Amino acid sequence: MESNKKYWKGIEELQKTPEFVENNKNEFAESLPIEEVLNEAGLNTVTPRRDFLKAMGFGLGAVTLAACQPVPVVKSIPYLVKPEEVVPGIPNYYVSSFNGQSILVKTREGRPIKIEGNPAGLLGNGGTDATTQASVLDLYDASKLKDPTKNGSKASWSEIDAFVKGELNKVQASGKKIRIVSATINSPSTKSVIADFTAQYPSTKVVINDAISYTGIIKANENSFGKSVLPRYRFDKADVIVSFGADFLGTWITPEEFSKQYVSNRNAASLERKKMSRHIQLETGMSMTGTNADSRVPVKPSEEGQAIIALYQELTGTPGTPLLTANKAAANVVKLAAKELLQAKGKALVVSGSNDVSVQILVNAINSVLGSYGTTIDLDNPSYQYTGNDAEFAELISEMNRSEVGAIFFLDSNPAYDYFNAKAFTDALAKVGLRVSFAERADETAALCNVVAINHNYLEAWGDQNAFEGYYTVIQPAINPVHNSRQAEVSLLTWSDNAVTDYYQYVRNNWEKTVLAATGKTWKSVLQTGFVYTGEKPVGTYTFSLSLGNVIPTIMNQGRALAKDIELQVYQNVPLRDGKHANNAFLQELPDPVSKVTWDNFVAIAPKFGEKLDLEEFDLVTVKGANGYSVTLPVLFQPGQAQGTISIAVGYGRTAAGKVGNGVGKNAYPFATVQNGTVQFNGTVTIEKAGGREELAQTQTHHSYEGRNVIRETTFAEYAKDPHAGSGKHGGHKKYDLWYKREMPGHNWVMAIDLNACTGCGSCIVACNVENNIPVVGKDEVRRRREMHWIRIDRYYSFNEEGKSVTEENEIGELQENKDAPNNMDNVSVVHQPMLCQHCDHAPCETVCPVLATVHSTEGLNHMAYNRCVGTRYCANNCPYKVRRFNWFNYWNDSRFENYLQEEFTQLVLNPDVTTRFRGVMEKCTMCIQRIQGGKLQAKIEKRPVKDGDIKMACQQACTSNAIIFGDVNDPGSEVAKALKSERTYYVLEEIDVQPGIGYQVKVRNTPAAATTEA
Amino acid sequence: MSSHHESIIREPLVTGDNITYARVTNEVLIPVENKPNKAWWIGFTVAALGALLWVVAVSYTFWTGIGAWGLNKTVGWAWDITGFVWWVGIGHAGTLISAVLLLFRQNWRNSINRSAEAMTIFAVICAATYVVSHMGRPWLAYFCLPLPNQFGSLWVNFNSPLIWDVFAISTYFSVSLVFWYTGLLPDIASIRDRAKGTRRRVYSVLSFGWNGSVKTWQRFEAVSLILAGVSTPLVLSVHTIVSMDFATSLEPGWHTTIFPPYFVAGAIFSGFAMVQTLLLIARKVLGFENYITMFHIEAMNKIIILTGSIVGVAYLTELFIAWYSGAEYEQYAFLNRVSGPYWWAYWSMMTCNVISPQLFWFKKIRTSIFWSWVLSIVVNIGMWFERFVIIVTSLHRDYIPSSWVMFHPTIIDVCVFIGSIGVFFTLFLLFLRVLPAIAMAEVKLLLKSASHQAKKKLMAEGKVDPVQAQYYKESLTKYDSVPASETV
Repeated sequence: MESNKKYWKGIEELQKTPEFVENNKNEFAESLPIEEVLNEAGLNTVTPRRDFLKAMGFGLGAVTLAACQPVPVVKSIPYLVKPEEVVPGIPNYYVSSFNGQSILVKTREGRPIKIEGNPAGLLGNGGTDATTQASVLDLYDASKLKDPTKNGSKASWSEIDAFVKGELNKVQASGKKIRIVSATINSPSTKSVIADFTAQYPSTKVVINDAISYTGIIKANENSFGKSVLPRYRFDKADVIVSFGADFLGTWITPEEFSKQYVSNRNAASLERKKMSRHIQLETGMSMTGTNADSRVPVKPSEEGQAIIALYQELTGTPGTPLLTANKAAANVVKLAAKELLQAKGKALVVSGSNDVSVQILVNAINSVLGSYGTTIDLDNPSYQYTGNDAEFAELISEMNRSEVGAIFFLDSNPAYDYFNAKAFTDALAKVGLRVSFAERADETAALCNVVAINHNYLEAWGDQNAFEGYYTVIQPAINPVHNSRQAEVSLLTWSDNAVTDYYQYVRNNWEKTVLAATGKTWKSVLQTGFVYTGEKPVGTYTFSLSLGNVIPTIMNQGRALAKDIELQVYQNVPLRDGKHANNAFLQELPDPVSKVTWDNFVAIAPKFGEKLDLEEFDLVTVKGANGYSVTLPVLFQPGQAQGTISIAVGYGRTAAGKVGNGVGKNAYPFATVQNGTVQFNGTVTIEKAGGREELAQTQTHHSYEGRNVIRETTFAEYAKDPHAGSGKHGGHKKYDLWYKREMPGHNWVMAIDLNACTGCGSCIVACNVENNIPVVGKDEVRRRREMHWIRIDRYYSFNEEGKSVTEENEIGELQENKDAPNNMDNVSVVHQPMLCQHCDHAPCETVCPVLATVHSTEGLNHMAYNRCVGTRYCANNCPYKVRRFNWFNYWNDSRFENYLQEEFTQLVLNPDVTTRFRGVMEKCTMCIQRIQGGKLQAKIEKRPVKDGDIKMACQQACTSNAIIFGDVNDPGSEVAKALKSERTYYVLEEIDVQPGIGYQVKVRNTPAAATTEA
Repeated sequence: MSSHHESIIREPLVTGDNITYARVTNEVLIPVENKPNKAWWIGFTVAALGALLWVVAVSYTFWTGIGAWGLNKTVGWAWDITGFVWWVGIGHAGTLISAVLLLFRQNWRNSINRSAEAMTIFAVICAATYVVSHMGRPWLAYFCLPLPNQFGSLWVNFNSPLIWDVFAISTYFSVSLVFWYTGLLPDIASIRDRAKGTRRRVYSVLSFGWNGSVKTWQRFEAVSLILAGVSTPLVLSVHTIVSMDFATSLEPGWHTTIFPPYFVAGAIFSGFAMVQTLLLIARKVLGFENYITMFHIEAMNKIIILTGSIVGVAYLTELFIAWYSGAEYEQYAFLNRVSGPYWWAYWSMMTCNVISPQLFWFKKIRTSIFWSWVLSIVVNIGMWFERFVIIVTSLHRDYIPSSWVMFHPTIIDVCVFIGSIGVFFTLFLLFLRVLPAIAMAEVKLLLKSASHQAKKKLMAEGKVDPVQAQYYKESLTKYDSVPASETV
């Protein structure tokens, strides 16, 4: 069927209206407005809505594209003439020497940026102390003089030379004396220079003046054995060590060497051999050495002599009047010490920190009884680190007073600050015509001199050192002199018209003549190895055979003289030591290992005694010495401080150190006195409340570990029975995990820290500061608890009460309240725990960061992407170890921190491999990621896998005691893998299963059975 | 809504005689249509100075760094997040009143929901300022948004409760704003109809062309219900997520599964307290006694006592669980709260939040305007302390004793907080001037059914059971909902 239906489109079509017919002729029923759109009217004037949207879209797109332009590229200019062996980005290492220790100086593009110990060096195991680590900053100290000065104004070297030579000739003609005052000189070349100088000016004499002198020991050895030397002590050969106030791990003679020796009998290797030395310390203030002792008893300075006498009497069985009647604990520990020392005859060592000749003679007698000479004390290979004689400087002052001295030179010596009677010295100095200082800065003494012939920093200088018999180290410059300075030796050579004024040549000639000739080594090889050791001389045994008839009464009398008022002990603390480096911001901000105080010294008082004096912590008190000198300082309650005593550190109160060190703390040197011809750092004082309070800037304000198992310790007896003792490793338990296991197919970087090796010195902290460009924040910010250190050392006190360790706040409070046992707070034990980012495999910081700024690597590290961080601080809150540090301010460009590291010049010390962090960004230990990366690249270049030991952390490298081991636990042969297998290994807070990457080894104390130490 | 008669025994929701639709409009719009009086100016000046203080304090923080605050290496959050949680909590009452009570047909919400919702929005704004200003680098706050970027696969961390927060708060803010604005439409239209000149044009735009047709009303009702449905889960979710900032961490004292319900209860608790603080004054100053009656005040006080008790039980549960868990760090965290150096904060919290609301069991206190206001302030203080206790006393002494510290606020911390209150009141006072503080349209719905005059009329007409009428009259005196003169 055919359909003839017709469909119509509209009524118009049906009706066929004329309009429709007309329109239907065209293809488009209505004409399209093409013309209209394309003519001008369509293109301009009113913008239709659609066009508006189009324009918007285009505009937005265009702007977005334009904004996507990359960050402008700043091109650095390559060397025009590339120095040989300098490859940008690749460090060069040079051997040099600091304080007699062979070191490696790391330079980048010509600037020294880091000091490492020479791994082959003999003093510190490749580790260094905090001072050495921080010394690189002194090179960039903006407070140093830039030119030599004459009468306080800038002068040229030729003017200086003309002036000094003229004056010297006048002095020579007048027959007056010439004196060179110096800290101990053990540099053979310097000695030779002075000898040459003396040849020209025969009235010249060197007066050695050390801020802290060891005259007592030297004189005592002269008296006892006819050898006027500072012996080499061998703590590594001692099974029993008794120290009377000698802080040999912190500040005494050569602490980094002693630390290395001491720890070798207490570390993991030693424990595995079931051997551990025993260390008994009797001292006034709590020293770093005291914190490491197995038994420590506080004694007053007045009792220290008695204690040594008592020990002598116990050892020799000589009956005497009962001693130490007022200090039963000390009397008991002396008895115990005598017993143990005798058992360990030949492997025993007794040392005293006293600078008194009589005391040291008695100590010699004791060591002789114990057979220490030839075993633990070596008089034939003596130390040359301190050779000062206190009497000589006193004599110099009288010479100056008699106007016999015409010219005086100060080399590395600043008696106007550190001589106990600085006024007598400065008054006398005014009578000297020519006063020349070789200081780097206008320090307290240089300010009194006509000429400051600024010396090189040791990193700019040639030189050598001879720390102990047979050990010669070379100092070679790592950078051209930055300022218009000249080496002191060159100045002396110039002024004495020496034929050789090039000191490099002079040192080399001197070596060729002496050491090299004797050993057959070449100069070139020395510049590569850094030192020459001519070997040990045969060690003789010495026996003490003199009468002690005069010695004992002298000691007793001294003790009696001290036993009045409040007894004062003046000591060196570990960060600042004698105050020479007071302008070093890294050292000022390094917390004292014991008190954790930065940026200040203070009056340390035992809590009980403080209460008795009606003092509260941080009260300001005025301490007045017998000589009328007084200082006002805040009080710090120091557990373990002897009752009735106070301690104040030297090294503070500098007035002309520079921007950083000026006015930090108060000077305690003037409290020292001269007794029996030596300077002694104790005295009697009175204390008065000065009114007011000053909070000290402590990095730790809670001091006990509250019985928590973050610290695990045991005794050596327990350990010997069961190596698992204290580690909590007994028995297995099943673990359940919420999270998937992280795959670490390549490396798994971890760390092992031996609590038994760590002495708490803090050298790792400074090493980390220098390596990782850690900002210095200053006293005020530390007080606000905002120091930036990536690694810290937690120090906890625990009190031993009836054989139990009391660590909890409330129990300590009860102990303090207990009136029946007034001294029960004295029996305090200390543990040091280095704490840094644990690089947890299930890191709580990582899950909470909103922007993924902190993430995990496939090598077990917890990374921090600074550029991504928005600074919510959630990660730091959620970190159970509280090791994350926030940049509260822009430390690199904020006027309140300008004294520390803001000078453009000072910032040359920054490690170019590590970025500085802007404010508002979180940071923390990266496990020296730049070093890991460097080590991996090196291995790749050499087409080999990374070897264990290729990569070392900055903290690990600085540690003299090797307490920190880093490595790849996926490599079963690695040191760290072995260390972590130890029965002593535990993980801090392992129970919350964040799976930390740092294993700690249980602290072992070699304490005897409880009964014997009871007070 | 409910235009049917309601039972005579219910208390009236609108009191007063001769309340007509026109009168409602006239009374509610007095502050909107007239020049502000002296009291407003004084209040506004004080609030604006506070807001200025906020601008100064926050600018100083932005300029120098977060170091301007008293935070330190151990306590990374203190007044900032305390303030944040406090404000977010306060914001909760608004949504609860507007959404949950709507769904439950609680008509008494009609006269308070407008202000409560405005309060919510302003409180969430205050909270949001803290979110940004507590960041170390606030100019990078957009990193927290999952924006497509040129960094390849770099995305936000969806594991982080802070990201959940970003979503929760922004959702909450936008939904609350839409809900509030939708409710405003008929009222804005009323203002428009009465205004002239520029004002009229402005309100005309703001009214989105509301024409009052039946269809418009019908859609309005539908949208309100839908939005109420959307908002209701938010009442629970927002503070649950805020609590997860703490609960999902491993800080002792934070790591607690009880936090979500406890935080929600606390939020409602503090929100109602803030509504009381604001409305007790607004009611008096603006003459809204007929619309916000003693019944309303009492009802809110009852919610405060309920939520306050829930919070109290939560506190005790925390203590019990800390002891029962045997977990060393947990136990110490709570011991430290109770007896540590910040004991005063804990006991302030306990007193303000647990003990003082219990006073509302007394009818006298519950129906006293003075005491209601005082206690609402006490609760506000207590809830601030609750957050301070949770945040600071947990952080300042956690796992490793060497890091234990004290937190001391700086003057900037204090200024930012006081300033945020200034910002809040500035916004609230401006709101009172430009928008009706009471939802007129919704109150008008009640006139025929739930007002005192309607009930009187019913009784006069003798259409109610005399026993019930007697009960009603008695209850009026008993509960003094209506001034004695009006009771018959």
